[in-house]
Amino acid sequence: MLLLLTSIVPAACAGVAWGIFGGALPGISPSITMALLLPLTYTLDPTVAIVMLASTYVGAEYGGSIPAILIRTPGTNAAAATVTDGYAMKLQGRAGEALGISLYSGFVGGLFGLAMLVLLAERLSSVALAFTPQAYFALGVLGLSVIASLSRESLVKGLMAGVLGLMVSTIGTDPVTGLTRFTFDSPELLSGVAPILVMVGLFAIGELLIQTGEPGWQAVEERARIRFPGPAMWRRIARPQLIGSVIGTFEGVMPGGGGAVSSFLAYNEARRWSRHKEEFGHGSPEGIAAPEAANNTVACAALIPLLSLGIPSSNSAAVLLGGFLMHGLVPGPMLFVQNTEVVTGLFTGLLAANVAMVVLGYLIMGPCIWLVSRPKPYLMAFIYALVVSGVYAIETSEFQVGVALGFGVVGYAMRYFAVPLLPMVLGVVLGFMVESNYRRALVLSSGDYMTFVQDRISAVLLGLAVVFVVGSLVQHLRRREL
Amino acid sequence: MNRDTVFGSVCLALAAGYYLTAAAIPDSALSDAVGPQGLPKTYAVVLGALSLVLIARSMTARGGHRKAPDHPPAGPSPFALAPSVIRVVGMLLIGALYLAVVPYAGYILSLAGLIAATTYYQGGGVNGRVALVAVSGALVFWVLFVAVLGIPHPPGIWPALF
Repeated sequence: MLLLLTSIVPAACAGVAWGIFGGALPGISPSITMALLLPLTYTLDPTVAIVMLASTYVGAEYGGSIPAILIRTPGTNAAAATVTDGYAMKLQGRAGEALGISLYSGFVGGLFGLAMLVLLAERLSSVALAFTPQAYFALGVLGLSVIASLSRESLVKGLMAGVLGLMVSTIGTDPVTGLTRFTFDSPELLSGVAPILVMVGLFAIGELLIQTGEPGWQAVEERARIRFPGPAMWRRIARPQLIGSVIGTFEGVMPGGGGAVSSFLAYNEARRWSRHKEEFGHGSPEGIAAPEAANNTVACAALIPLLSLGIPSSNSAAVLLGGFLMHGLVPGPMLFVQNTEVVTGLFTGLLAANVAMVVLGYLIMGPCIWLVSRPKPYLMAFIYALVVSGVYAIETSEFQVGVALGFGVVGYAMRYFAVPLLPMVLGVVLGFMVESNYRRALVLSSGDYMTFVQDRISAVLLGLAVVFVVGSLVQHLRRREL
Repeated sequence: MNRDTVFGSVCLALAAGYYLTAAAIPDSALSDAVGPQGLPKTYAVVLGALSLVLIARSMTARGGHRKAPDHPPAGPSPFALAPSVIRVVGMLLIGALYLAVVPYAGYILSLAGLIAATTYYQGGGVNGRVALVAVSGALVFWVLFVAVLGIPHPPGIWPALF
């Protein structure tokens, strides 16, 4: 109880505030906001750090709607669906009401997602004690098979990114023999490349470099005051909120779904089921409620596959996974057995975060508008300073900052060549698990490859991986986008 | 060459270099059936094969058989965005300069330099306000990282002077 009051609730509040600020800055996605915070959490208690990161995700999903409503520029991809009706309401002089609907719907969606997380995550992981090296290898392969779903535009490029990530994971000491690989006699590389450096580089520094060539965004010229919806409006937006929450849960669990996809799907479905279809696109409160409920549901639902199987289904979940790994925690089946206090703390923290989002969303609207209105050169300079300071803090090593800058270049190049980032992160994160358990299983079975299908859990997981890959392949072939 | 061809060629070269480096990993008496070279060699072969597929596909698309799947659409040359690439190189140089200077000049001074240089480079100009923001920003970061979080950022030569 003491930890709850003194650490978890403040961490949730700080994370939400950070998330709202980050999400409100156009171009700074929830994953980048989390990646910027990641090094800062290094010195914190693991539970507190994870709560802070997860709360940032919650706050950022709401924060993205602020510039979407006020300056017609979504702060995050997920807030793009809010632009149409949010900005239309602003033009009608109802900006405060639009912001209130967004905040309230995010709160409802967040609670729905949290309930789903609590109900489903532990059940999925209940097979934990039966996991063998074969099963862990198969779990890693299942995680990697997600790459096929994540490569929306080009399956080949997605697979290439995944293999590049696997290659990065082989740097360091070999898990079986202890020999060094790809270290080029550098002592700093003996323990490999930390996933956090890859994530900060790809997401935060890569985006910083991309933003270098982009024009600044429009300043907010008016002061908006949030107006929460009354009972009549509650009733009107209840249905789109439910639609958004259900879609958000489904998309949050599905690999590659994420906030943006769920928001647009929720918007479309809310319009389909609305009694006021004609208002959509002209300032409909339902057109804000559905996508905002959806993207905040995703912020919690995306943790279901992450906590139970160790598989991140979105960029933000991948950064959160980086936070777990940084603190020596391994999300997946054993997390619920070995680190129950972290799981309980996270659930409690997410509840606090959703409540804090309502309070802080109201209180920090002014500072948020002030921040969004700062000149872009200053903001970029401070983000750069935060990145170099934060990465140095991880191992107090300038070499690590250089590695992160190097991955920033990789991230910039991957964006330039339209290569998805998440497959590479998956490769880096899952590579060690796949290789070490693959080789361990073969040693235990005296080199018999049939061991992977004789183990029941392994067979089921590998079967699921095949279904994922074949399904995605068929989709790509149908769209003729291999 | 379009962007896919360039990316495929770079990855093909990377796969070749990675394979050769993996093949040079020595054998160990503790080695298992797969060995420390096993999976790295496989990764290199897979990356090489995928690179060839990407190059072949982009060549075919360029021949007009079907639309290139680049998102955003590939320009006539992958080097068409040279000015923005130069800006990126500039940002990286600022970071590299910071890393080179920070052990000697110390955290606060180096970070103030990084903030001022980045602000100037992004079009913020050179004036007293930029200098003030840079120095106060560096002090805020020092308070956060060194005083509050207890992370020993390099003090540089300053402690020795007093």
